Amino acid sequence: MPDHWSFVAAAYGLTALVLGIYWRRLVSKEKEVNTLLKKTRTASSVAERSQNPSRTGHPRPEPVPRPPLQQ
Amino acid sequence: MVRTLGWLSAAALALGLVMAFGVAPREVSQGNVQRIMYVHPPLAWVAYLAFGVVALASIVYLVRRGPAADRLAHASAEVGVVFTGLAIATGSIWGKPTWGTWWTWDARLTSVAILFVMYLGYLLLRGTIEDRERAARYCAVLGIVAALDMPLVHFSVSWWRTLHQPPSLMKPGGFSGSAAILWPLLVNLAAFTVLYAYLVAKRVRLLRAEAEALA
Repeated sequence: MPDHWSFVAAAYGLTALVLGIYWRRLVSKEKEVNTLLKKTRTASSVAERSQNPSRTGHPRPEPVPRPPLQQ
Repeated sequence: MVRTLGWLSAAALALGLVMAFGVAPREVSQGNVQRIMYVHPPLAWVAYLAFGVVALASIVYLVRRGPAADRLAHASAEVGVVFTGLAIATGSIWGKPTWGTWWTWDARLTSVAILFVMYLGYLLLRGTIEDRERAARYCAVLGIVAALDMPLVHFSVSWWRTLHQPPSLMKPGGFSGSAAILWPLLVNLAAFTVLYAYLVAKRVRLLRAEAEALA
């Protein structure tokens, strides 16, 4: 019987291609979700810090407008 | 741990390739096209394993309602669908030069196609139901029901006259071929099993991160 190397190459090539694409998809999706998680965590920690009272017990000073620049 | 599994599966697959093309001899009756055997049965074995894990994790989910079991079932079903699709495709590629046809509606091929469509439906069901708890419950039931097709797939070649050959390894009496063919097959079975574990672990981690991001 002839060897049919092209069929062997097709079977191994297709398997490598599909598994490679699936793996790449998992990797890129994981990166995407991790970036989103980092952003969410940073946003929630900033919000938490701004709501907490000062550690020294003193009230936080009200923000004052910067005086105009003088020559 | 996931990274280690990844490197381990890459090394095992490389060894499997060396065994399939460097160690295994040219088969007498089929010629070199028989080398597809070192990729097709391992893909089919992983499909069995994946859907078996789906069924077990689904039972655990229905009993305990833990999200970890649901994530494992989801990940395993997805990887199982990829491997089943590849098992069908590589089988078809092997069938053309040996049987003279890409596809025939014999009992093995038809029951595998049904299995593939059922788990594809499982993944679609997950995507269509927005309520996560309800989707997990429905999919757990479907995951168990669909697994009932697996014995039918495996024994179809014994129960009916099929074009597909009977099982080579998972049969009473074990493998009857030479050790030069058996070892490359076993190495590839192990390599694809490690690859399955790696992909499922990676998918489970991603599902956990997605759930955390959505919460």
